[in-house]
Amino acid sequence: MDHKDKSSKPEKRGRREFLTLAGISAAGVGALAAAGTAEAAESKQTDKGQGYQETAHVRTYYELAKY
Amino acid sequence: MSEVHTTIVETSAEADFDGIRAGFYALLARLLARPLDDEFLDHVSRLEGDDSALGLALTKVAGLAKAGSDDHFQDEYSRLFYGQGQGGELLPFSSYYLTGQLYDAPLAAVRDDMATLGIQPTGSVKEPEDHIAGLLDMMHGLITGRFDAGTVNLVGQQDFYDRHIGPWASDFFADLKKADSAEFYAAVAELGLAFTDIEAEAFRLAA
Repeated sequence: MDHKDKSSKPEKRGRREFLTLAGISAAGVGALAAAGTAEAAESKQTDKGQGYQETAHVRTYYELAKY
Repeated sequence: MSEVHTTIVETSAEADFDGIRAGFYALLARLLARPLDDEFLDHVSRLEGDDSALGLALTKVAGLAKAGSDDHFQDEYSRLFYGQGQGGELLPFSSYYLTGQLYDAPLAAVRDDMATLGIQPTGSVKEPEDHIAGLLDMMHGLITGRFDAGTVNLVGQQDFYDRHIGPWASDFFADLKKADSAEFYAAVAELGLAFTDIEAEAFRLAA
């Protein structure tokens, strides 16, 4: 929650280089990256304007197959 | 001017990493949450990795998915996680791994953080919230901003990871890798080990 305010802090260079070398790069796993992004965008949309209690909101953590 | 440009580039690079990290969390969560169905099996069989350890592990999972049938994977999943009505070979819960008991203090700690972060389980999930798939999916949600807390930054992500996943995930994946019934899921375990190794080291570098 209060973590959010600090989220604009740039990542350290060592971390970025490490992640790239480790295969966390669009070139390495392009399909997966696109899948993750699509899922995120979709659930954001679903969440808008809905009550927190509604199933559709959290869509929850076992409803991942749709990505 | 150039400083603004640099910031934009950095932000976009971070977003790319986060999209891929979130994708891996979602993939592992879905693989471990329940047996594969046709649609998901099709998705998994089309994944491709590069020649990094992580990419090779991903390619191996995809190759096995391509070669098998969903019936086979459902049987394997059942033997590993459901058993014949008395539990499978493995109990993929943080509480069990950390204290030897289900429903113990580690589950309470997960529930506390879920309340703080606005993460609410749906009634359709029968397993306790400290199931490995649940925790991995929560990481996905923290990165993508799926929960009430919105997008949680790296410090918050690391905090959650260090509290609920880091202390036991590699033990669980090691057990899954060598479980008697594990074939496809042994490759899933290797993917889990490769990815959580990377996450742990990347968090360390960011601190």
